[in-house]
Amino acid sequence: MKNTNLKKGFVALIASTLVAVFTVAIPSSASAAETCTKEYLTTVSGGVDFTKCVGTDVNGSKYEIRMPAKFNGTLFTYAHGIRYGVALPANPAAGTPAVPINYEPEVAPTEAVAQSMLAAGYALAGSGATSQGWNLTELTDATLQVLQIARDKYSKISKVVAWGNSLGGLTTQALSEQFSGAIDAALPMCMADSAQAEITMAGDFLWGLKVLFNPAIKGTGYSAGQTGYIEMLGDLAQVRATLTEIRTAIIADPLRPKWPTTSTAPANLQAIPVRAAVMLLGLVSGISTQSNTYDGVAGPPGASETTFGAALSPALAVLENGAEAAGLAVLANYDMERRASGVVFDNSTTNYSTRLGTAGTTYAAALSGLDAARGILLYLSAMPRVKSDPAAVATLNSIYQIQGKIEVPTIALSATSDHITPAGAAQYLINQYNDAIDNGKAKAGKLVVIWNKPPNEYTKFGASGAITPTVPTNGVGHCTFTTAQVMTVAKMAATAAKTGKIPSSTAVKAAIKSDENLFVNPNYKPDLLKFRQ
Amino acid sequence: MKRLSIVSAVIATGAMVLSTLPAQAAQTTGVTANEIKLGISSPTSGSAGLVYGNVPGAMKAYFDYINANGGVNGRKIKLVHRNDKYTVRGAATSTFDLVYEDNVFAVVGALGTATHQSGYKAASMAVENVPDLFVNSGWSGFNDKVAYPTTFMLLPTYAMEAKVMAKVVKDNFPGQATFLVAQNDEFGDDARAGFGAASHKFTREFPYPQGGMDIATARTILEAIKAVPGKPVVVLFGTGDATVAMLKAAEELSLTKKFTWLAGSVGADANTLLALKVKPETIDGVLSASFMPDAKDLTDPYVKQFVAINTKYRKGKAFDNYVLAGMNSAMLTVQALRAAGPNLTRDGLMKAIETKGSKFASAGLVPLGYSATSRIGYNGYWVSQINAKGEGKPYGGKLVIYTTDSGAGAVTENKTFVRPTMPKNGIPTNK
Repeated sequence: MKNTNLKKGFVALIASTLVAVFTVAIPSSASAAETCTKEYLTTVSGGVDFTKCVGTDVNGSKYEIRMPAKFNGTLFTYAHGIRYGVALPANPAAGTPAVPINYEPEVAPTEAVAQSMLAAGYALAGSGATSQGWNLTELTDATLQVLQIARDKYSKISKVVAWGNSLGGLTTQALSEQFSGAIDAALPMCMADSAQAEITMAGDFLWGLKVLFNPAIKGTGYSAGQTGYIEMLGDLAQVRATLTEIRTAIIADPLRPKWPTTSTAPANLQAIPVRAAVMLLGLVSGISTQSNTYDGVAGPPGASETTFGAALSPALAVLENGAEAAGLAVLANYDMERRASGVVFDNSTTNYSTRLGTAGTTYAAALSGLDAARGILLYLSAMPRVKSDPAAVATLNSIYQIQGKIEVPTIALSATSDHITPAGAAQYLINQYNDAIDNGKAKAGKLVVIWNKPPNEYTKFGASGAITPTVPTNGVGHCTFTTAQVMTVAKMAATAAKTGKIPSSTAVKAAIKSDENLFVNPNYKPDLLKFRQ
Repeated sequence: MKRLSIVSAVIATGAMVLSTLPAQAAQTTGVTANEIKLGISSPTSGSAGLVYGNVPGAMKAYFDYINANGGVNGRKIKLVHRNDKYTVRGAATSTFDLVYEDNVFAVVGALGTATHQSGYKAASMAVENVPDLFVNSGWSGFNDKVAYPTTFMLLPTYAMEAKVMAKVVKDNFPGQATFLVAQNDEFGDDARAGFGAASHKFTREFPYPQGGMDIATARTILEAIKAVPGKPVVVLFGTGDATVAMLKAAEELSLTKKFTWLAGSVGADANTLLALKVKPETIDGVLSASFMPDAKDLTDPYVKQFVAINTKYRKGKAFDNYVLAGMNSAMLTVQALRAAGPNLTRDGLMKAIETKGSKFASAGLVPLGYSATSRIGYNGYWVSQINAKGEGKPYGGKLVIYTTDSGAGAVTENKTFVRPTMPKNGIPTNK
């Protein structure tokens, strides 16, 4: 895997030691139940023969390995994003089917990417950990397991790239920092920040929904056992109903939409358009003001374009994004509380005025003016807060945290307006890496972050208003990279694995030149997640 | 040994060149032997476009005129405009693209407070050291050299304007009730701070969010104050569309003459008000603070010259206060580029404005205040009264120039300021 000069040889020794440890740790029976089949993939340029092997590792995690007949020597081990840690029943009223816990392995962000990778000669591997939810530790271990199983099975693997989406992106970084000898390059995509940073973002929004619009939302402190499960399901229903009511109110009267009937906020507060309150919650939580439908710029042609773009669009974007963030908050809080045996969300000392910062003046139009924002902030300051359980937080924080101790070439891909894993998570990785360099814990020149921005304008209007795109808008939403974008960065990572170096700035720019939404810019510094500000 | 020294010297020189190249390139980004590329982010569509849409076209017309007359030190000026739709996100992407896609040398005439705050940050203009010239905002925060190290404002601060307005009210309308209808953001907050500094207390204030003033809202406000005895003063501190809404509502309620209207400079362009169907008799008598001459005053040499340029380079398009403002900004830009000399650099440009900018020729009827310690452009106001033709004449029949600061300083009459003479044919020759 490594060159044989003295210094690199030393690294190789450490790496092989680590690998040997894993070899020892993994009984040969790990892949005893493995089943392999010959597969054929039809592509535009012909076809790809590959072998697909599925099995279960020593911990019971399912894995999958795909090895193309024309293998180029590089294996990509994929870590998937967060999945529900509990099964969700069908909701006939909402028209949603039952969702079982998904333990299936994934080898790439999408099947289209997987096929393109195989066609390019890369082998793929991935797993589905036995524990879902915030399973950073379990997923890191499962990824290491499948990596080693693949190595044992295919001696022709010369280079390994770890990659992953969302929580899988964080898993990739965890793997890279803790077991750098096991891989040659890392490719974290739309990576999540730590559990506390993420739950603070989603939790702040959920808490705001509760105190402003619907006190029936529990939000935190779920009971043990079946009672807690029912509480969690109840919260999902309450969040959905509340956001639906707000959405309906905005559709009925965009300029002065009313508050939900469940709100117990005083009448003078409810005189403020509810969209402004939603906007404020988004800004103090760090929810993106661009969403799949709303770009925060465009408006219907004519004089009302300005008001829509300046005042309505950002708030509607927060509402669209917030629906997912609030749902995530319920599920993640429930999951993390069970894992850590206590409340992990904490806003007992949060100053939401400070959180708003200069965004209050910048987005004054969407907030219906500074006085409206000040009024809502005053109300929030008087509302009972949530205090976490210190032991639970300690448990949560004992899970891997980004250190920035990067030893293998790392290429990160992050969207500027991802509302689940904001670009600030990648910025935090940059900051931690720079600190690690300054402290002598990492060497310079091992990290490049490629940003993915949405088109400048993408909101389209029909006779009845904005039209939600039929395909996800690239650059907004969560992990909405195109196959071409993922292939571009994957090939960079494969090259980096071979050379031991990140691509030069010139090489990166040349590689992404044809993509309007990708860019590199050392001076682009998105805001960190609110937890870290 | 000697050979080694030569090699070392070559290596050292090479290293020096390599280490200085990036900084040097950043200093001259957007500048070639034949061209200077500038950029502007402003609205040209929507309601904001109806009001401010002429600004970039006016700037381009003036630059075209200068280009036709040899350019600046042999370089033609190219102005790249991006329509930000007067939105925070639009300004962020527009300014980002100007800096990183268009690679402009400087941004000129950016319009709006919240929008430009957003654009400046998104494009890392401070880090990139991109000159930010003649910003069309009076928010006093842009004078903060720490937060905005490359910014030069054009407008006086809104706090200054409010202080001058307070003096006008105090001197001319004693005993009358006063009402403030102001945009509820940093624009209005700056104004409220200015009125506070002048110890002026309004009978009642009506804040509203940007884009939130429509005729229905305006009617509600007027209904609430129509019974106040006397002839109350209504101060309008917002954009042109809000002024239009207030005046149209007054028309509907037959209250146009019930009040003395005192409009801020941002929202008081008579041509725009007339174009947006406010009746001539309604605007007749409206007072406005201003730092520029009236666009209809063809006796003013600056106006006369700019009208001529407008006629030739913007054929068939009207000349109004925003066209005048745009051309004036462009002329200031040309002087700044000239003052920076033929070896144009970003640092050189900003230094030139700091050291020479207060002496630039300008249509403004009040002094420019650029110095090493101040990035505020115009320092003061005069008060005009609009007539039914849309002309702005000095209130009281005599031009009085007021100067003040953004803080607690007094508002005083400036009797010594002499406006620099318009350069011959409107073509600056300064160095």
